[in-house]
Amino acid sequence: MTANRDGGTIQQPRFPEPRLRVNPIACEAHGVCIELLPELISADPWGYPILRPGPVPLHLQSLARRAVAACPTLALMLTSLQP
Amino acid sequence: MTGGGHVGTIVVTSSTPLWYATRATGLVALVLLTASMALGLLSSVRFQRPAWPRFVTLGLHRNLALLALGFTAVHVLTTVLDSFVDIPLQDAFIPFISSYRPIWVGLGAIALDLMLALIITSLLRTRMGLRSWRVVHWTAYLCWPVAVLHGLGTGTDTPVRWVLVLTACCVLAIAALTIWRLALAWPGRPVASTAGVILIAVTLIVGTAWLRAGPLAPHWSTRSGTTSTPAAGAARPDYRVSP
Amino acid sequence: MTARGVAVPSEGGPLAPAPGDLRLIVRDQPLSLAEHIARYGPLPAGQLVSQVLVAEVERSGLTGRGGGAFPAGRKIRAVAEASMRPRPVRASGGSPAKGSAANSSVANSSVAKGSVVVANGSESEPASRKDSVLLSLAPHLVLDGIALCASAVGAGRAYLCVGHRAAAVAQSVTEAVAERVRAGLDSVPVEVTTTADGYLSGQENALISALNGNAPLPTFVPPRPAERGVRRRPTLVLNVETLAHIALIARFGSDWFRASGTAGAPGSALVTITGAVERPGVREIPLGTGLGEVLQRSGLSQPAQAVLTGGYFGTWLPLPAALAVPVSDEGMRAAGATLGPGVLAVLPESACGLAETARIASFLAAGSAGQCGPCRNGLPALADALNLIAFGQPSQDIVGWVEQLSGLVTGRGACHLPDGAAGLARSALRVFATDVQAHLTAGPCARAGGPPILPLPAGGYL
Repeated sequence: MTANRDGGTIQQPRFPEPRLRVNPIACEAHGVCIELLPELISADPWGYPILRPGPVPLHLQSLARRAVAACPTLALMLTSLQP
Repeated sequence: MTGGGHVGTIVVTSSTPLWYATRATGLVALVLLTASMALGLLSSVRFQRPAWPRFVTLGLHRNLALLALGFTAVHVLTTVLDSFVDIPLQDAFIPFISSYRPIWVGLGAIALDLMLALIITSLLRTRMGLRSWRVVHWTAYLCWPVAVLHGLGTGTDTPVRWVLVLTACCVLAIAALTIWRLALAWPGRPVASTAGVILIAVTLIVGTAWLRAGPLAPHWSTRSGTTSTPAAGAARPDYRVSP
Repeated sequence: MTARGVAVPSEGGPLAPAPGDLRLIVRDQPLSLAEHIARYGPLPAGQLVSQVLVAEVERSGLTGRGGGAFPAGRKIRAVAEASMRPRPVRASGGSPAKGSAANSSVANSSVAKGSVVVANGSESEPASRKDSVLLSLAPHLVLDGIALCASAVGAGRAYLCVGHRAAAVAQSVTEAVAERVRAGLDSVPVEVTTTADGYLSGQENALISALNGNAPLPTFVPPRPAERGVRRRPTLVLNVETLAHIALIARFGSDWFRASGTAGAPGSALVTITGAVERPGVREIPLGTGLGEVLQRSGLSQPAQAVLTGGYFGTWLPLPAALAVPVSDEGMRAAGATLGPGVLAVLPESACGLAETARIASFLAAGSAGQCGPCRNGLPALADALNLIAFGQPSQDIVGWVEQLSGLVTGRGACHLPDGAAGLARSALRVFATDVQAHLTAGPCARAGGPPILPLPAGGYL
């Protein structure tokens, strides 16, 4: 937030926050993402990932990038687009 | 370098340390490459234990591959610097142009090229499509046996017992894991799996036969195309098998 | 020409249907090309028409009639914009047929001829009949709509996909296309194709995949069809009924279109009424008509306990409580249901809602593309649980398990099949709650052993 000349404040535009998304066709339930990012990803009864909705918190973003790179089928994605 | 050549602050008076380094780094690189390949196979069969999660397999696979590349780089460097035999740097990348054991050094060049392709594409994995990455990664099944053959054919240590045992252990480990991977990859196609197993068994048999007729038989260095270099004066004696 | 540039019929020419009249299907016999032109007037053509068409469709509030209910104008605009972006020069298949002077002005428009129009008449929903009826009785309305959209988005080719179950319709539609070619009407060639068998084959991405020569299975989005579809070109996929409405909007305007229906759900729609009714079949209704009035026109043949709306991956509504629900997307949604492709299947008191639901769930599970783990695993588990409730000896926590499964599969597939199956299961447990209790305490009721009411294609699903 910065002050403008009239003494009010201007809301700075925020960068679109990254969100996790999985391509369910590419996903083969290897489970690496669930191991690497348990804060945001859990397993369903068949081993497929359940993603916690909402943007990825700042302190987890580098871990999320690592999880994305580690997916054996590149099914996990980090996107700032709306699904 | 002979005579008064300098490498850093050490005066190298003979090429033997470089020769030892070449052999040692080559062996270590082979072991590391085998370990990385083994972990890659374990990953493809989704090996997992409570104390050994998937990411450990994947992380070690990656790091050991990088380490193997590092040792291979030193292996290439010491070979090039070794003046006993003239092997310029391009022989390490362009196969079969070497004047020293052209086929076997050429195999090493192929293995190195493939290793570079495997590692570079893996580092750029998220930027290239999965399908292209996967096609390149399948060449690992070519890279590793080529590296083994290179070691057996070029290596002057092949007749040494512990070297043979070490190589055999590497080969058997990869063969067993590959059979496991084949069995799991095609559960509904027993014909294909059996064909794969037979192929591996045949390769092992043929390889052993070649080993006995080739590197383990007398005068291999001559038959593989070792040329004596006039610059060194006396030829390096054949390595004798010590009991 | 009016101020908006849309052609208005001249004195003595065909009149726009009055608000209460039938618009799309005017008689039981197919309309030939000449009869079609006599009834509705010639197809408006020319560069001006294609430029204002998109805005007119947007203003009309027309939503997709294939089940998605997405605003049609917005879809056309998205494809038109995508086709304007520079694309690599590539020879497009199919040279335009010789047309009249009006059509050749379209051919010279500045929009690149790179996009594709796909008319979706696949109708993979087993209980739906409206698309095949529309195509057999009023094919020229649909083909007009295709021609109009093709010029609006600069398409070089178009496809009309007819359902697997309607082979005779494919034949008559092909003849209608040939009739128009002989009359020199369409500048964009229309290829008639038959959709593969399978519940998902008519899904938008699956259809595009099939047209590209791949398996008729849904794909992951992005890229959206508007960006990249058939042959990697921007593709406009619209239900055939939607295209028929567009053909009328182009002639009579958006104000005329909105004269029927409600403010939030303008226009008319085709619905398929099946189940325990005296006169099942396809009807055209103004959107927003009460469910009771719609069912009354078909005649309830026996006391009815529920109606399944939105097709087999829709939801149950209880009767007589739901008689007041307006038949429209917004009306249905307010009642916790969906209109979908306009299927209304009436369940008589003499049948068991749980048994029907279990059969449908088995059908949906068998229709899964099998590409996504949650659906491939979850839908058969859901069907098994529902079958256990309907026909077996379930434990007391079966209801909780169905709820849990529904939550596990919703939103986790590449298409909406798992969402639909979960919605069906949940609504069944809600609407047939007393039956659930009876089954849990005393086992399957007598009605569960009766013959199936709702039509399912032959084949073992259990």
